[in-house]
Amino acid sequence: MPHPMQGDVLVIAEHWKGEPEGVTLQMLTKGRELADSGGVGLAVLVLGHGLDDVVEVLRGKGMDTIWVLDDPALARAGGGVEAHAIAEAVRAIDPGLILIGYSLVGMELAPAIAVGLGVTAMTNCVDVGIEDGAVVVTRPFFDGTQHAKIVLEGKGPPLVALQGGATPTVGLGATEVAVRPVAVDLSAVPARGQVLEVIEEAVSDVDITKAEIIVAVGRGIGGKEKIAVIEELTQALGGLMACSRPLVDLGWLGRERQVGASGKSVAPKVYLACGISGASQHLSGMSDSRLIVAINKDPNAPIFQVAHYGVVGDLLEIVPALTAEARKVAG
Amino acid sequence: MKIVVCCKAVPGAVTDVEVAPGGKALQFQSQFQAMNECDEYALEEACALKRAYGGEITALAMGPITTQDILYLALAKGADQALRIDVRVQDPQVASTVLAAALGKMEFDLVLTGTQSRDTLASFVGVAAAARLGLPFAFAVTEVEKDGEQSIKVRKELGGGRFADIRLGLPALLCVQTGIQPLNFVPPGRMLRARAQPIRSLSLTELGLTEEEIVPRGYRYQSVSPPERVGRVRFLEGATPEIAAALLARIRAAL
Repeated sequence: MPHPMQGDVLVIAEHWKGEPEGVTLQMLTKGRELADSGGVGLAVLVLGHGLDDVVEVLRGKGMDTIWVLDDPALARAGGGVEAHAIAEAVRAIDPGLILIGYSLVGMELAPAIAVGLGVTAMTNCVDVGIEDGAVVVTRPFFDGTQHAKIVLEGKGPPLVALQGGATPTVGLGATEVAVRPVAVDLSAVPARGQVLEVIEEAVSDVDITKAEIIVAVGRGIGGKEKIAVIEELTQALGGLMACSRPLVDLGWLGRERQVGASGKSVAPKVYLACGISGASQHLSGMSDSRLIVAINKDPNAPIFQVAHYGVVGDLLEIVPALTAEARKVAG
Repeated sequence: MKIVVCCKAVPGAVTDVEVAPGGKALQFQSQFQAMNECDEYALEEACALKRAYGGEITALAMGPITTQDILYLALAKGADQALRIDVRVQDPQVASTVLAAALGKMEFDLVLTGTQSRDTLASFVGVAAAARLGLPFAFAVTEVEKDGEQSIKVRKELGGGRFADIRLGLPALLCVQTGIQPLNFVPPGRMLRARAQPIRSLSLTELGLTEEEIVPRGYRYQSVSPPERVGRVRFLEGATPEIAAALLARIRAAL
């Protein structure tokens, strides 16, 4: 039987250089909504070492409690130690629901936290809500062609990993916030993974985050040599060319052009998606674009969930026609 | 280096998707099964590590007898042996329990798998199996190298153009990122030879698990359907030049 939520909604924060990640702010937005509908509080757990800056930034972002787990052992801890620390902190906090971003970091931590706590986990969710007192999630299956609605009814707080971009970030009102330490004994945890260094990719000459028009190409293009067709359209429109992950994996285009969870997030005035099916990892990096136009041969491609205008058809026919039209207008 | 590669047989295009009676699974029709592409990258990385450091590769998959097809592909790509766990599992938490039980009976230095399967899209099973076994793990790994006798150094993606270099003690489990190695085409002759090789199978009982332990818990499917479009997409139709003119007008209006 579904059981009513008892205990706070707890967001696991991701942060970098004293700032919460964008996905964490989105989780807080969703968390506030859930807490209000469940009649419970919103809490956030921040862990690491030297957390004063991020705690300051988090104050006034709508939560009732900030739990701080500061331990030198977490400064360079691998995923196993972090997940253990989170699971132990969650036991102490005793929330009703755990919310984590389905980012690359969240993807690594969520399964280990769930196993550590022995709770039900639902990852890659596009929505989470409370219906008749039970936590209900929606998540994709089969390449995103199907969405299932799932009622969580296990013991203990369920863990929900929610896609970035699934929920907008709204300015959260300042609230009275309690900052509370939470201590976990990590001395007995074998540290068999250790972070040696974090590397930030050098800024490239191609900065797709600044473009007003992006023409993005995906695997639907069908061959490396055919990318020239997309390049011509990009030039005719005066934009920048970007791509989805598979093209980088195939070595057809450089990583600096990749849009999505593991690449760049962009929000241009015009995003033209050519032969991109629209995996959630891609959508999370471009769904805020002002105008989204998608050309794809499959009318059921997930890209059409976020597109304003769609064309179902052959790229190699439509793109050159669009290029010719753009040149005609420009000329 | 002894490497186990966990690869999943995933359905191709699916139709008639619905919630199975009891609400614990999704049922569907599918014409064929293929090796999950993310796991193919894990297999290619295993082959690259074997070329660099020597050792042997075991390909491991879960599923009914038809799952053997992807294990033959694994053998053709360079796995030395293949093992099938004879159990149908859809739920990622259950899958990680079964996988952990199988790995617990095997000898290895490294377990490699992909980041996500195209059917359940959960990114769950690899790390959860590692957590159940108490193995160190890393997700979205883009580089692997040996770093002494009992440890490796890996680079993993953190997103947003950030990476972390990590040292892990062995044995360890890695979910490798797509693109870590190029995918190699398998010539039909190698595939034929692979089909002559035996594939061992293990039953649930041999893993020391009961049917009771592989029942999905903690949730119930309420419904499944193609995703609702946000509702705003408008499809442009007509002759190609008309579509092009209409698209361009809308693009120009947005600037």
